[in-house]
Amino acid sequence: MKQHRKLARVVAGAAVAALVLTGCRGGGDDTEAGPGVTEEACPEAVNEDNGCIYLGAISDLTKGPFAPLAVPITEAQKAFWDKVNQDGGVGGFDVNIDKYVADAEYNPEIHNKKYQEMRNDILALGQTLGSSQTLAILEDMKADNVIGVPASWNSAWDFEDQILQSGANYCFEAMNGVDWAVANRGVKGKVLAIHYPNDYGGDAAAGVEAAAKANNLDFKAIETATGQDNQAGAVAAVLKEKPSMLYITTGPAEMATILGGAAAQGWKGTVVGSSPTWNPALLQTEAAPALEAMYFQAGPWGPWGTESDGHAAMRDALADVDSPSDGYTAGWVWEYPLLAALKAAADMDGGITRENVVKAATELDSVDYEGMLPDEAFNQTGEPNDVAWRQSVISKVDKEAPTGVSIEQEMQAGPTAEGYDYTEPCFALG
Amino acid sequence: MTTMLRSTPSKHARKATGLRGRPLLRTSYDQDLTLANTPAKRRSVIALVIASFVVPFLLTDDLLQVLTLGMISAVGAIGLNLVTGYAGQVSLGHAFFIGVGAYTGAVLGGDPDGALLGYGLPMWIWLPAAGVVAAIAGLLVGPLAVRLRGLYLAIVTLGLVFLGDHIFREARNITGGPGVGRRGAELELFGIDFASMEPISGLSRGQAQFFLGLVFLIVFAILGRNIARSGVGPAFGAVRDRDVAAAVIGVDLTKYKVMAFAMSSFFAGVTGALYYAVIGVFEPGAFSLLLSIQYLAMVLIGGVATISGSIMGALFIALLPRISQFIAHYIPGELLTVFQLEAILYGLLIMGFLIFEPRGLFGIWTRIRNYWKGWPFSY
Repeated sequence: MKQHRKLARVVAGAAVAALVLTGCRGGGDDTEAGPGVTEEACPEAVNEDNGCIYLGAISDLTKGPFAPLAVPITEAQKAFWDKVNQDGGVGGFDVNIDKYVADAEYNPEIHNKKYQEMRNDILALGQTLGSSQTLAILEDMKADNVIGVPASWNSAWDFEDQILQSGANYCFEAMNGVDWAVANRGVKGKVLAIHYPNDYGGDAAAGVEAAAKANNLDFKAIETATGQDNQAGAVAAVLKEKPSMLYITTGPAEMATILGGAAAQGWKGTVVGSSPTWNPALLQTEAAPALEAMYFQAGPWGPWGTESDGHAAMRDALADVDSPSDGYTAGWVWEYPLLAALKAAADMDGGITRENVVKAATELDSVDYEGMLPDEAFNQTGEPNDVAWRQSVISKVDKEAPTGVSIEQEMQAGPTAEGYDYTEPCFALG
Repeated sequence: MTTMLRSTPSKHARKATGLRGRPLLRTSYDQDLTLANTPAKRRSVIALVIASFVVPFLLTDDLLQVLTLGMISAVGAIGLNLVTGYAGQVSLGHAFFIGVGAYTGAVLGGDPDGALLGYGLPMWIWLPAAGVVAAIAGLLVGPLAVRLRGLYLAIVTLGLVFLGDHIFREARNITGGPGVGRRGAELELFGIDFASMEPISGLSRGQAQFFLGLVFLIVFAILGRNIARSGVGPAFGAVRDRDVAAAVIGVDLTKYKVMAFAMSSFFAGVTGALYYAVIGVFEPGAFSLLLSIQYLAMVLIGGVATISGSIMGALFIALLPRISQFIAHYIPGELLTVFQLEAILYGLLIMGFLIFEPRGLFGIWTRIRNYWKGWPFSY
């Protein structure tokens, strides 16, 4: 027993000592380029002679509602930068998005905490998942000159220079979803927006409301909390209101619970979900038949199986993946603007520094997405009303497709989104 | 203060007894009650405080923030130790009082132009006010403790957490609601903005906040110690050990139980306000039962009915995620991710501690101290 105690004490002591020593101040990690960029090669570098750029990723990897999507997103982003490194890196640097990965459980508080932990060590955020979560750290990001790739599509990002958003935001996506359903599914009467009570849900609901108004539909919004156990209220609301269409903006499991629950009690209609509401694993659940009959996904770009150079490169890089999901697709597409900003900063005076990357990002007027999105989908240089990307795709459930969905309507903007006067974000809490 | 810290007999007493240099012999209650009642304690406390002021110059900001939050939660742990450790009233409701303090602070000290309710008052108003509002909540709960004890009291205070959870979730113009949250109060004291990224007279944000946390802890630790060593502390102990006997010898049970709750809630309130002001953003889900449990763990791991134990326990719990993060990186495994391993280790460390060291960190400290006290003849 005594021996054990001694051993335990030695181990604990060593752990604490190591912790203290690794945290020592003035380690001299920073080169002249500043935080997140080192002359030293990355750990397990592809190009040993290159320096290293560290990107942070604050994601939802275990307990949160988007973990089934966020784990693939994070994997795809690693694969993306691995490919960049294999092609020689950026401006003499390899890019590492492996060292500073944090799990924030889709919680703004933990998100902020994780950002504080890595803020001095990263050049930029390769992923910051969630709308409210990213808003929680936005002020600090601005103070630090850190740009971020959001793992979300929010109309607020079109008005923020330091957030590099790809594809149409939830608000336009919802308008396109409703316009499509009215034109192609004969929706009339009432549309119900069921959404999380946060910036993600609010943004989509604002889009649904605008589209409902344009199409002369009755509109009602129902808020619902995270967690499959908390959806009884939403199901009851569907049965009471008897809408002809639902627009759902939750996590995948919550969407399936609501749709499945309402269908089981006899509700029929069209359901369109925001892009994060789909996860191919839903086809293994009891709700699968109802999903096949009624569910459509509004999304910013084609799913995994789409034909384009970028999609093909992604499938190559992720050839080992057993069960593809469009988390991979999103994670991959999102990184293109960051790559473009890093390339542009590398050519500037002073090379890749936080300041130069911010400057380069604000001057980007197009991004080479290798065909996954049109190049002009990304433009930071004009007024959002002129340059914001408004086109979405609509996908249907397709058991044969690799990620369980295939395109129903190719990329386009509906009349509501086209005509929307976009001088401020669709939605802001408070 | 210096006179309070001194433990050697007064000049008069020394002359009378010639007891100079026999620090463990006490000839008056005054000596027994002094803040640091042996010279060794006095010296080590002073050395520790000086050492703490050096720490920020040795560690990086991210680690400093962990320690800062640990020191702030230490005040909350002292508060819980007052009611649960000293007065023996098991409280699972600590998270509620911390929440009350956090939102009071955030509303009073929050950005008046923000989306949510905020009055932009200075820190010297919102910090004490957070304590006072929480203490009032404690005063309201106190009378329940008079009628109940043990597990029954635990269940009632558990109810408080759920009540608070519901209110915090629904009062969205104050709390921002679940999944969104709000910013804490603005950390500005005497014109110094502790949240600013600009260096403050040569100090980084992490260092400045560390000093803020340290001063905060020292003030409240002395306050806590004073409560424990004055008449109130022994009265709490009597209530804890045998409340019937305590009543018989004239301890007013109602008064002391209510007092324990009010004091503990005051500590919790100021902790909540400052903790979440340093964190920056917080959401209502933070004040769940888990937070109460975490504070109980601090008290149990640190040492029941000790102030220094509360501090050690809080620092340990604050560092635990970092320690488990550190260990997790050295355990190879395909089955679990680093994050899952971290969560598991966190649980295992708490369990291991309670099994192998039930007296807590304070117990380990006592053993080390006793070893060196007898050195080189310790066995």
